[in-house]
Amino acid sequence: MSSSADSDQAFIEAAMPAFISEAGEQIEAIEMLLLELEAQPDNRELLDSLFRCAHTVKGSAGIFGLNRVVEFTHHVETLLDKMRDGEIALTPDISSLLLKCNDQIKFLVDTATDENADTLELKEGRADLVTQLQALSDGATPAGGGSAVSAQYAPAVATADLPDNALRTWSISARFGTDTFRNGMDPLSIARYLGTLGQVISMRCGSDTVPTLPNLDPESCYISFFMDLETTKGREDIEGAFSFAADDCELDVVAPETPGQKLARAIEAMPETPRLGEMLVQVGAVTQDKLDQVLSSQQKTAGMPRAAQAKIGDLLEAQAGVPPEAVAAALGKQQKIRDNAPSEDRYIRVQADRLDAVINLLGELVIAGAGATMLARETRNTSLTEANLHMNSLIEEIRNGTLGLRMVPVGETFNRFRRVVRDTASSLGKEVNFEIEGGDAELDKSMVEKIADPLMHLVRNSLDHGLEMPQERTASGKPAAGRLILSAKHETGAILIRIEDDGRGINRERVLQRAWNKGLVEQGVTPSDDAINMLIFEPGFSTAEQVTNLSGRGVGMDVVRRNIEALRGSLRLNNNPGKGLQVDIRLPLTLAIIDGFMVGVGKSKFVLPLESVVEVIEAADASTKVDSTGRHCLELRGQVLPVVRLRSLYSVESTLPERVSVVVVNSTKGKYGIEVEVLMGQQQTVIKPLGRLFKNLRGISGSSILGSGEVALILDVSSMGDLVTGQAQLSTAVH
Amino acid sequence: MSVVFELPPELNIYSAPDTRDALLAWVTTQTAQSKGALEISARNVVEVDGAGLQLLAALSNMEQPWHVVETSAPFSEACKTLGLAGWIDARYLNNTTQVAT
Repeated sequence: MSSSADSDQAFIEAAMPAFISEAGEQIEAIEMLLLELEAQPDNRELLDSLFRCAHTVKGSAGIFGLNRVVEFTHHVETLLDKMRDGEIALTPDISSLLLKCNDQIKFLVDTATDENADTLELKEGRADLVTQLQALSDGATPAGGGSAVSAQYAPAVATADLPDNALRTWSISARFGTDTFRNGMDPLSIARYLGTLGQVISMRCGSDTVPTLPNLDPESCYISFFMDLETTKGREDIEGAFSFAADDCELDVVAPETPGQKLARAIEAMPETPRLGEMLVQVGAVTQDKLDQVLSSQQKTAGMPRAAQAKIGDLLEAQAGVPPEAVAAALGKQQKIRDNAPSEDRYIRVQADRLDAVINLLGELVIAGAGATMLARETRNTSLTEANLHMNSLIEEIRNGTLGLRMVPVGETFNRFRRVVRDTASSLGKEVNFEIEGGDAELDKSMVEKIADPLMHLVRNSLDHGLEMPQERTASGKPAAGRLILSAKHETGAILIRIEDDGRGINRERVLQRAWNKGLVEQGVTPSDDAINMLIFEPGFSTAEQVTNLSGRGVGMDVVRRNIEALRGSLRLNNNPGKGLQVDIRLPLTLAIIDGFMVGVGKSKFVLPLESVVEVIEAADASTKVDSTGRHCLELRGQVLPVVRLRSLYSVESTLPERVSVVVVNSTKGKYGIEVEVLMGQQQTVIKPLGRLFKNLRGISGSSILGSGEVALILDVSSMGDLVTGQAQLSTAVH
Repeated sequence: MSVVFELPPELNIYSAPDTRDALLAWVTTQTAQSKGALEISARNVVEVDGAGLQLLAALSNMEQPWHVVETSAPFSEACKTLGLAGWIDARYLNNTTQVAT
C-alpha cells in the first residue's frame, strides 16, 4: 500500500515540472486571450478558449493535488462560465480583475511545491479577489474597498438576451461517483427534486456503465443521467439540487442555447471536415438539395472579379436561411483546421540544457573541424583536403540547423508587453494604441530572455516619458490616444527591434542642461545631436523622479544600454522632438557561433563578423601616418574612408610588411576600413566570452579558439566604428 | 410460462445486496431452464431508490432479455423519473396491473 503511495508521490514529483511549464503556457494564453477579448468582447470563441484554459489549469492542478490552485481557479472558472452563459459581459474592470486573478494563479502554480511562499498577506489578497469574483458571479455589485477594482462594476446582463426569470431549457448531465449511495445520496431523489423546479423535457439514464449482476457491488453507484429541464430557475438553483452530492458527482449544467448556437456547437463538435456546405448539411442546418441550389447559384458568379464573387456562406445565409451563427462557426472550424492541420503533433518538448549541451559540443566540433582542415592542408593530400572540405560543409549545415533549434519567435516576448502597456497606461491615465509588428522574426532563445527586461524598460520609458497625457496631445494637434509600436525584423545577420512612439521625443536642451548639471558633459560643451540623445543612456543620468515613475525598478537607462551591449547589440535613437522617438536595438541572431572573416596582424589573429565585411582592398603604402589611436584615411572611389590600423591600435609587435590590406566593413556608424597584414579568409567562429579583465577593451567583443589551438580576438565592428569615427573621443569626454 | 421474480417491497439500498443475490440466483436458474424473456414483477414495490433501480440496470446489461410484467405506482414513478420508463412497457404488463402515470 505504502509503496504505491510512494510511487504516486514519485510520479507527481517527476511530472511536476512539466505541469508547471504547461500551466505556465495556459496562464500566458489566458492573459493573451483576456487582452484580445477586451478588444472584441463579443467574440465567443475567445471566451470559450479562455474558459478552456482556466479549466485545463484547474483540472491538471487537481491531478497533482494542488488544492490552492484548484480552489482559486474554480472561482475564476465560475465567473467565466457566467460570462459564457451571457449573464455577465466583459467590462474593462472585470478584465482587470481577471488579469489580477491570472497573476494569482500564476503565483500559485509557480509556488505549487512551496507552501511557505504563501504568506498571510498574499492569502488575504487572494481572499479579496475571491470575494470580488463571487460578488460578480452572484450578480451583485462587488463590495468596494481596498482594491483598485471597485465600485465601477455593473453586473452587465448581456445583450438583453434573456431576463433572469425567463423560461429556459437547461441541459443537465450528472455522473455520480461510486460512493454516492454510501454517502446517503440518491440520484433518483435528485432527479425527483429537479422535476419540481420545472418541466422535465427529456430524461435519459446512463446505465451502460453499470456492471452486470454477478459483478455488481449493489452499494456502489454507477449510474448517470442526462436531463433537459425547462425552468425559470437559474443555474444556481439547478446546481443546488446537487449540493449534497457535489463531491461525488461530475456535473455539467449547460445553458440554454438558441437554435443557431446549437448548430454552432454541433459544428464545433464535428470531426475534421473540410467543406463549409458539407458541415452545415451534416448538422442539419441546410438540406443537401438546398445546398446544391446555392452552389449552382454561386457558380454563376464564378467568372466575375474576385470581389464580386458570391461567398458560399453569404448565399447560404441569404438563400437557405442558415443562421449566421452556424455559418460563422463552420467558417471558424475551417480556419481552425487550416491553422492546426500541419502543426499537430509536430512539436516535442526538449530540455533547454540538453540543447545547450549539443550546442557546446557543436562548438568543439567546429574547432576540431577547423584543426583537421588545417592539418589536411598541410599534408597537401588533395583527396584528404576534399574530404575535409565536405565534412566542414556538413558541420556548417549542422551548425545552422542546431542553432536554428534555439530560435524562437520574438513575438512571444512582445505579447507579454501588451499587459504591461495596458496596466502602465491606465495607471498613468494615458491612452495608448499598442501595435506589434514582425512578431514572427526569430531570435536565439537565450537572447530573447535577456532582451525582455531592457525592452520592458524602454517600453515603460516610452509610456512614461514619451507619450503625453491625452489633453496635452489634443492641444498639440495629435490624436488623444498615443501610438506605441514594437517591431522586429531581420537585417543582415542581426535582428532590429524598434520601439517607436509618437510622443514628445527627447528634449535635447533639457537633456543637455541636466548633463551639464550632473557633470556628465563639461559645462558649455555642446556635443552633436545624436550624442545628446545618447546621454540618456549614461550612468547617473536618470533622476530619482524617473525611478519612482518606473515602478521603482531601480534600473536606469544605463543598465538597459549595458545589457544590450553585453548581448553584442547596439542601441540607436532616432529623435524627432515633439513628434516621437524611435529606439533601435540591433542584436546578433545568436550568441554562440558566427561566420567569421579571419585576418592577421603580426602573429595575432582577429576575426571579423563576415556579414559586416563589404570588400577588401589593397593599401599601397603601409607607412601612412596615423594618429594616437591608429587612425588614418584613404581614398576609396573618390570618397574618404576612415581607416583604423590594428597594428597601432593594439600595439601589435610585427615587422612592417611591404603591403597591407584594408578590410572595408559596414557598421551602424557607416563604412570604414580596418588595416590588416594578412587575410586568412572565411572561418566558422565559436564565440567565447572574454574574461572580466578585458571587459573594457574597446573594439573587441570576444575570443575564439582556432583549430591550431591559438586564440583569435573577435572584433566588434560597431564599437570599433565608434573609435574610428571619433565617437569614442566624445564618449570619453562625457565620462 | 416461467416463474415471475417478485421484487421486494423495499427495493432500495438497504435490501440491495440481498435482492441482488436473490435476483442473480433466480436469473441463473431461469436461464438454465428456458431461453425466453425473464419476467419480473414490481407489484409489491412500495419503496424504491436509485440503488434498487440500478439492480435492474445491471440485469439489462446482461444477455438475458427481461421485462416487467406487473408494476406498482411507486415503481413506475421512479422509473419515469430516472428516465427508465422504457421498462414499463404496456405490451408486457398483465391486464390486472395498474400503470401509474
